[in-house]
Amino acid sequence: MSYLEYNVKTVPTGPAKILHMNWPLVVLLIAVASVGFLMLYSVAGGDLSRWAEPQMKRFAIGLVIMFVVAMVPIWFWRNMAGIAFGGSLVLLVAVEVVGTTGMGAQRWIDLGFMRLQPSELTKITLVMILAAYYDWLDVRKVSRPLWVLIPLVLILVPTMLVLAQPDLGTAILLVAGGGIVMFLAGVSWWYFVAVIGAGVGLVSAVFTSRGTSWQLLKDYQYRRIDTFLDPSSDPLGAGYHITQSKIALGSGGWTGRGFMQGTQSRLNFLPEKQTDFIFTTLAEEFGFLGAFSLLVLYALIIFFCVVSAMTNKDRFGALLTLGVAATFFLFFAVNMSMVMGLAPVVGVPLPLVSYGGSAMLVLMGAFGLAQSAHVHRPRTR
Amino acid sequence: MIRTPLRPLARILSARARGENPDAIERENLHQRHEEMRDRLRLRAEGRLLVMSVLFLCAFSVVGARMGLLAASEAVEPRAAASGASILAQRADITDRNGRILATNLSTYSLYAHPQQMIEPERVASALVEIFPDLKRDRLIKDFTGNRKFMWIRRKLSPEQRQAVHDIGDPGLLFGPREMRLYPNGRLAAHVLGGAGFGREGVHSAEVIGVAGVEKAFDGWLRDPANDGAPLALSIDLTLQTAMRQVLLGGMRLMNAKGAAGVLMDVHTGEVLAMTSLPDFDPNDRPRPLTEGDASDSPLFNRAVQGVYELGSTFKIFTAAQAMEMNLARPDTLVDANAPLRWGKHTIHEYQRKNYGPLLSLTDVIVKSSNVGTGNMALKIGAKAQRDFLDRLGVFDPLPLELVEAPGARPLTPANWSEIVAITATYGHGFSTSPTHLAAAYASLLNGGTLVRPTLLRQGRVAPGPRIVRPEVSRASAEMLRQVVVRGTASMGEVPGYAVGGKTGTADKVRTRGRGYYKDKNINTFASVFPADDPKYVLVVTLDEPSDNSGEKPRRTAGWTAVPVAAEVIRRTAPLLGLRPQIAPAPASGILLARE
Repeated sequence: MSYLEYNVKTVPTGPAKILHMNWPLVVLLIAVASVGFLMLYSVAGGDLSRWAEPQMKRFAIGLVIMFVVAMVPIWFWRNMAGIAFGGSLVLLVAVEVVGTTGMGAQRWIDLGFMRLQPSELTKITLVMILAAYYDWLDVRKVSRPLWVLIPLVLILVPTMLVLAQPDLGTAILLVAGGGIVMFLAGVSWWYFVAVIGAGVGLVSAVFTSRGTSWQLLKDYQYRRIDTFLDPSSDPLGAGYHITQSKIALGSGGWTGRGFMQGTQSRLNFLPEKQTDFIFTTLAEEFGFLGAFSLLVLYALIIFFCVVSAMTNKDRFGALLTLGVAATFFLFFAVNMSMVMGLAPVVGVPLPLVSYGGSAMLVLMGAFGLAQSAHVHRPRTR
Repeated sequence: MIRTPLRPLARILSARARGENPDAIERENLHQRHEEMRDRLRLRAEGRLLVMSVLFLCAFSVVGARMGLLAASEAVEPRAAASGASILAQRADITDRNGRILATNLSTYSLYAHPQQMIEPERVASALVEIFPDLKRDRLIKDFTGNRKFMWIRRKLSPEQRQAVHDIGDPGLLFGPREMRLYPNGRLAAHVLGGAGFGREGVHSAEVIGVAGVEKAFDGWLRDPANDGAPLALSIDLTLQTAMRQVLLGGMRLMNAKGAAGVLMDVHTGEVLAMTSLPDFDPNDRPRPLTEGDASDSPLFNRAVQGVYELGSTFKIFTAAQAMEMNLARPDTLVDANAPLRWGKHTIHEYQRKNYGPLLSLTDVIVKSSNVGTGNMALKIGAKAQRDFLDRLGVFDPLPLELVEAPGARPLTPANWSEIVAITATYGHGFSTSPTHLAAAYASLLNGGTLVRPTLLRQGRVAPGPRIVRPEVSRASAEMLRQVVVRGTASMGEVPGYAVGGKTGTADKVRTRGRGYYKDKNINTFASVFPADDPKYVLVVTLDEPSDNSGEKPRRTAGWTAVPVAAEVIRRTAPLLGLRPQIAPAPASGILLARE
């Protein structure tokens, strides 16, 4: 059921494409990014040039990328999916070879003007290749074991490469994002039930084996799990981030301490405050109101993506849009859970808000793909 | 699934008949089939999307709810400092009986290095050597540039040192919080407190463990978090301890003694109010034990507890008391004191071969310290009964004091308590005990005649122990001791207003090599009680090898050495104990009348 069966002439062409873009989504993205600028300005102690300005520049570049990607017809991107995925795999391997070591993990390739994180790129190219795969695949075959195996391999190969870096956060996002696309493509329930069942079984096996002779993990690994479950048990060690960010959230209260008034982030209780833990600054300075508003903005972005996908009769476009939305969702859901102590600290940035280059550019490119799918969606006569 | 044929024959034929294009029918049917298929697909996709949306919504709700929960939670101050304190302040303080600090904890910092993170090892090494001159620069550079990931540099830092190290400004130099034991009074009560050292050491904290004295005896208690930091209150009184130590220190120098020990004890509770052993040491910087020579010469040696000496004639009072207890004699009973006393092949002489005989009253036996008189009493009492009596006073048992050193200092007693042993025992020869043993035995005899257990812990009310002698024997013994000071060997022990009683003891030191005794090396002891008319406190002062050189020839008897020192201790401590000076009362019989 391919797009080419429809009349291409119903799709807008030329500069008119701009008018047909998903403008609410554009506005929402700018709004979220603005929250990020504000927070980076505050975290730097009222210094614009430290983090906020470079972030603005990057966002501007990201916007341009989004528009350019949106203008290119969606079928071009579908044809590019295989090449893009293959390319990101090559980069993932390359990062093992030439990557510079940052914070003890090999993640970056220095391109000169920016540091490229291939694992970020892979999140999107994986969604692309899966969407293209299910677009190509006969709907009646999606649940057959052989045709389930192929996307599984597509997901697991980059996941393994990312785990080798090691980057647990991205690996989790890759598996979860790919799984969501497969689920939305209509793969039988039973596969998911089986995988989740196996996961639960493994976790319970890990825990029941603790202290016995066939213990599955090392002692220090169990201690990390303990720290996650009760961060206050080790307030100076691994639980430090979580304890401090919880304090920040608690001290923010309902309305917050006011812009630039946060103590936790200001007094440097939190390392990495401009990246993964920037949400704590927001929650402390603007309280529940500010934090919840950001959550609503994120929810609206997801909502507009879902609406766009539902009105899109093109399977590739719809799956791609949903895949991008799912990846985006996983980003902020995991980050917020982690900051609030609902999930272990795995190193996932808050999308569009955290300071960081490649994640933002890749996300903006991904939203460009969603926009392209929106602009070039088939219209009924 | 029943499929509608794309080209139903009937419709094709009828269409042809009408002259229409039959392909249009096929196209229409094909389109319809596609529509149906897409609708099924759409339905399924929408179902999946709905499930996904519900999951997303759940996630949003959980995150939102968590936000609300955290926003509603009380802002707790950073717990790092508080929890760190609970790790550090583990060891309880030790106080004297009035709550004054004897041992407490001080937060300092240790200095360690992560050489791998060091930027300029050579500059750091030079700077460190300037702050800590005892460090070797070459050695530091070697350590810093080697493969080591971690190394200790200093266990304790003063605040100035810490600032200086901080100013070096190298990220490879790190501080760890470190608790150390502090004895603010320095050498005071050093032997009682003992000392503490580091046990297991970590970067963030180190275990402080007791290594001697009370610190070690109560190590478990002091470290037990269940006590919630409650201090350990000793029976020691800081003020009395200070007074006693000062006097003994001066007395030791004046009498040219090589060591001194003093024990001040409450006769009713057995509480040790002051305990000094000289020479002493600073528990903040405990010296190393001697590796050679006599361990008892080390300042770490607690003479009051570990030193077991033949304490000489101080034991004579027990023979007199037992004789009165057994109704063999009364204070005025005349006793055969015809010197010398021959028993088998042994001949017992008086001091300087005098002869106080032929007869002396029991009181005068004590007053003149007659070896022959008490020897004869011992023969009347019988060896076994005498041994049992001394045993009941606890002088043969290990000292039940709360010091790790106490059980190790066992009194030395002859295996076979024969008649001759009984005779020599009356004047304190032939068996050895510690000064604290002696103080406890005096307290038991003089407090009215009930056994007390010596203790270093502050006591509330103490129930009287088993009876040793009748109250009137106890009183009579105190009166005899008073007479020793009034007109006997301890006349220098008179302290105006405090009715001191006591008994001297001069014992020749046992040779460390070979058998027998030194001629010119004595252990001089004065066991005293005050006030003698209503005994409250016992003081035992022991001087090791004293010699009063103020006269023409050295005087080495207790009456010339230990007694004046003890009198000075009483002069200083009695007012601190709350005793008011009083005019000496009439003899004890008068008091008896007045009371009855």
